[in-house]
Amino acid sequence: MSSLRPTHPKEVQEAVRSHPRLLPRGGGSKPALSTPRERQVALELIGLSGVLEYNPGEYVVVARAGTPLSELEALLKAHGQYLPFDPPFARQGATLGGTVAAGLSGPMRNRYGGVRDFILGVEFVDGLGNLVRGGGKVVKNAAGFDLPKLMVGSLGRLGVLTELAFKVFPYPKATATLEVAFPNLGEALEALYRLAASPIELYALDLVPPSRLVLRLGGLPEALSPRLERLERFLNQQGERLQGEAEEAYWEGVNDLGRLGEGYLVKVALTPRRIPTLEARLGAAPRRYMSAGHLLYLAWNEPLEALDEALRAEGLPGLVLRGVVANPRIGLNLEGPFGLKVTAALDPQGRFERYAAPN
Amino acid sequence: MQHRIDPEKIGPQGEVMAHAIEACVHCGFCLPACPTYQVLGEEMDSPRGRIFLMKEVLEGNLSLEEAQPYIDKCLGCLGCVTACPSGVPYGELITSFRAYSEPKRWRSPFQKVFRLGLQETLPYPARFRAAAVLGRLARPLKPLLPPALRAPLELLPEALPPTKPLPALTPAEGPRRSRVALLAGCAQQVLQPGFNWATLRVLARNGVEVVVPQNQVCCGALALHTGERARALHLARKNLEAFAGDYDTILTNAAGCGSGLKEYPLLFRGEPEQDQAQRLAEKVKDISVFLVELGLKEVPPLPHPLRVAYHDACHLAHAQGVRNEPRQLLRSIPGVELVEIPEGELCCGSAGTYNLEQPHIAAALGERKARNILATGAQAVVTGNIGCFAQIEAHLKKLGRPIPVLHTIELLDRAYTGQAPVPAAPADP
Amino acid sequence: MTPALRELEALFPRGLLRQPGELVAYESDALTAFRARPLAVVLPESHEEVAAAVRWCQKHRIPYVARGSGTSLSGGSLPVEGGLVIGLNRMNKLLRLDPKERIAVVQPGFINLQVSLAAAPYSLYYAPDPSSQPVSTIGGNLAFNSGGAHCLKYGMTSNHVLGARVVLPDGETALLGSESLEGIGPDWLGLFVGSEGLLGIATEVTLRLLPRPEAYHTVLAAYDTLEKAGEAVAAVVASGLLPGAMEIMDSLAIEAAEAAVGAGYPREARALLIVELEGETPQVEAEARHLERVIRDSGAYEVRVAQSEAERMKIWKGRKAAFSAVGRLSPDYIVQDGVVPRSKLGQALAEIERLSERYGLRVANVFHAGDGNLHPLILYNGRVAGELERAEELAGEILKLCVALGGSITGEHGVGMEKRAYMPVMFTPADLEAMRRIRRAIDPLELANRGKMFPGSEAKPLSHGPHPLEKAGVIARE
Repeated sequence: MSSLRPTHPKEVQEAVRSHPRLLPRGGGSKPALSTPRERQVALELIGLSGVLEYNPGEYVVVARAGTPLSELEALLKAHGQYLPFDPPFARQGATLGGTVAAGLSGPMRNRYGGVRDFILGVEFVDGLGNLVRGGGKVVKNAAGFDLPKLMVGSLGRLGVLTELAFKVFPYPKATATLEVAFPNLGEALEALYRLAASPIELYALDLVPPSRLVLRLGGLPEALSPRLERLERFLNQQGERLQGEAEEAYWEGVNDLGRLGEGYLVKVALTPRRIPTLEARLGAAPRRYMSAGHLLYLAWNEPLEALDEALRAEGLPGLVLRGVVANPRIGLNLEGPFGLKVTAALDPQGRFERYAAPN
Repeated sequence: MQHRIDPEKIGPQGEVMAHAIEACVHCGFCLPACPTYQVLGEEMDSPRGRIFLMKEVLEGNLSLEEAQPYIDKCLGCLGCVTACPSGVPYGELITSFRAYSEPKRWRSPFQKVFRLGLQETLPYPARFRAAAVLGRLARPLKPLLPPALRAPLELLPEALPPTKPLPALTPAEGPRRSRVALLAGCAQQVLQPGFNWATLRVLARNGVEVVVPQNQVCCGALALHTGERARALHLARKNLEAFAGDYDTILTNAAGCGSGLKEYPLLFRGEPEQDQAQRLAEKVKDISVFLVELGLKEVPPLPHPLRVAYHDACHLAHAQGVRNEPRQLLRSIPGVELVEIPEGELCCGSAGTYNLEQPHIAAALGERKARNILATGAQAVVTGNIGCFAQIEAHLKKLGRPIPVLHTIELLDRAYTGQAPVPAAPADP
Repeated sequence: MTPALRELEALFPRGLLRQPGELVAYESDALTAFRARPLAVVLPESHEEVAAAVRWCQKHRIPYVARGSGTSLSGGSLPVEGGLVIGLNRMNKLLRLDPKERIAVVQPGFINLQVSLAAAPYSLYYAPDPSSQPVSTIGGNLAFNSGGAHCLKYGMTSNHVLGARVVLPDGETALLGSESLEGIGPDWLGLFVGSEGLLGIATEVTLRLLPRPEAYHTVLAAYDTLEKAGEAVAAVVASGLLPGAMEIMDSLAIEAAEAAVGAGYPREARALLIVELEGETPQVEAEARHLERVIRDSGAYEVRVAQSEAERMKIWKGRKAAFSAVGRLSPDYIVQDGVVPRSKLGQALAEIERLSERYGLRVANVFHAGDGNLHPLILYNGRVAGELERAEELAGEILKLCVALGGSITGEHGVGMEKRAYMPVMFTPADLEAMRRIRRAIDPLELANRGKMFPGSEAKPLSHGPHPLEKAGVIARE
């Protein structure tokens, strides 16, 4: 199978115009989404890399879509800032473009929001080979259709991302993690609900089945230990505290979702209300619920059809990130004519993979 | 907002209206504050919509007949004035516009007689009393009457209290701290004469000598707000004379009358008495404001605690900006627990003769107010205006939950005189 | 009456407005420089009635606009001349509030502020707080992706809408988004929010509620120059703090706000800076100490800290009323809504001052400094010949300046009618063409809010002449 390696948006335009079937690919950290299928040409974007604009005082960064997360994050870290949606697979070579196209956020999205909440601007090549910009490079903007948000989770279907602008925030000056075990899922969920509705500001609020909560606090160092104490009082129980390098290392480990376990790796969007019945269907599959029960990542070693069925039964959509699949979209499909029409508007000739909606 | 009104062509009130229209920026902050917009949900029944309509009429782009139904629906509660960040003097605009349009509009013979009847009765206590007695006798005929006549009947009390004339002078008890003149109000003298007697007692107790000028008449607000400017002027001239004495303060205990007197400068604009009207208006104070400024003598505690909801009369809160003082008075009564009414800024629908002229909207607002009051769990409602008093009492009764309604000064009076503040009734849970 | 109108009357036996006295009131939104007389106004009370109105428009090819409280400052809810206005303010119910899942489901005519009031008993609130929040509806906020004072930290309306049930321009119903904060597949809802009514009408909106912060710390700092206030904002950002809001008002805006609500601002100040921290009490207390140092070093000559919720509300009341309050200073004004990178604030303000002098028009400045969103208020008198035109030209200069500095022509008011001519300043023909293709894919006849957002559209807002459909005999207004 051939592949193309553009280093400039113009070359992306040429590639799109001259190939009837393309699949854009970044760092390859989510192989289920970036492995070309029959007759598809891989469009390698790793050569379209580099930070274009960054003034820390603006809280805005603009970079080429093929820029590795690790490179951007290192730059931000040097200025005490970070991508608050906490994109996963940073050390596995994930790129900005791949993260946006897959629509992935990590545990720290709990504090300020996910990738859709931080994307400000986008430049992409549509299915006609036109270079299109949407959004802007300022933190507030209401001009024109919100194409940047449209691209989140689009899986390359609406165009090839070439440039992205994000809002960034100061990284907390200190962080600490509290791990709390509960006797059962019910009590853990009850605590999760109480925490999520409380004014306690958690950078991460993860549920690790069967019944553990992992909570991350961040802020000024002088306030951290009274806040940890308050947190324990709020929960009416003590937890295991993690601080310093061990704490950073723990979350770096979580960031590599691949470490969850072998087999398919799947993202599920949900609400905490679904967790009790879903839990009963997932058996021993290693998994972690993030952002107060709105985001599930799980590793799946059984036939994928079984998971697909479980998700449908719960009315939930899922996305396979790793594993060989014909269609990475599983579970409930909410797609209607609106999406089909928009897709046809941006890619009238069907150059990009549309992942026929699961039935 | 831009306009092409020629004030010259419209008369003395033209400038007032043009200025108000100019100040409106159409931002819409008045919408949630407007009772008719809340009930009807149509732009032309909002202050912003009405301003647009009046502008179009004054510019000659729209016929008066097209605009009139929506202008008529305005309660004149001035809730929009409180909400308006641009400072549009909406009250002056609508009052002036009504005066401007009344002579030009067509009214059916029935409407004319009905309006004339109201204008010739309500402002005159003796006539009103006679009419009210007749009205009560006519109650069994209610189903036979046209709808416009049914509403007034429903608002009449079961029995009219006896009246006796107010003394021309009530001396202060103990050393005299102040001397004031009291506007007795017209409808309230018939419906609730107790308000004035309570006022006299509380003032005397607090060392205030009260003069009730005997040649005073209705303030004219009723006429002014329904476009009857000539009639209003006629009444107001009499009051200029009646209150010409050497008083520092002219007290009112009915919100509508207080704001009516304060509108004299607008009414007399372009008239020879303009300055005199201005001087009078500056002396007018609501009883609550006066008492707070004076400083109340210690109030004995109520015999048992009482949860009280205070209802802001529009003509106190919106027209005169009086909100804190009545609350302050109530809080100074030991045993009173003051609660706030949800949607407190919204008119109860009484609004002068509005509940007689627009009974459906008035009833919708009255019920909404009564429900909001009941939601507080209050054991009594207190307000500072006779119109609100009657409206709220009627609608609480309609809902089958007739908790007592009192004037602020009545509750204060009962506390001073050691009476039970309200008839013993089971407290609402 | 034409057969088409008879049909409409049958669809809306109550809730159809046709008389001149009724239509006049709908001719403008909060941007009165534009007026257009609609053919009729319908006031639907259900999703099905909205769909019926849209299908009627589709069938008879009549353009339409959905309208809430009509508070758009960009002319976004201006009627299409001779088109239908679909007034949604009677669809004003709270359908569901789930404090546990922290969502509220509302009809489009529900008022923004009412969401927070309904959520208050559960210590939750709805974060987007445009100054119009006591009036503006969620439907309108959604269509124009409204902002407010807290966008740097919390984002705009788009970041707080989880799902919507919408009537598409072909009359069909679509469900976009869900109740989850996460999604799979393209973010169709993200595209829909802020599409200015061009892609459909939301009839049910699922909103995300946030826990009310435990503590607020609101600081009001007075400066003798605008530059110092601007530098203070940069210093706050550089210190690593992330305040919920940072707002600046200049002397003209202070004067107006004081006249309107008597907020107790230092009247002689050349610039006021409001900084608000919020969050967990121990964290806010610690941050407040850092902030105090930063503000002290910034050259403020007077600093006040709100000591109570009442004082805090008073500070905000003045700021929120500032726009409309300018009506006290001038019979007419244009509010602009440009955005510049925060580091270019000083440069932008200096340039605006220069433009103000050149055009001989006063400009008051109120802005969301934290996110670089400027709100220059250009004061003019429409009765003076040529002043409106000068004001519009000045406004255009300011927009071009914002784009030249790397910003945007609108931060939160939307493009609407007012700024559509400036879209080509910000976007290339290819960008606009892509957006147009999306629009036409959803609405081939371009009926939904025709004439807004895209430059060079067909509506002629300032004329009162017959509608093309009228000329063609399709519609009539007898």
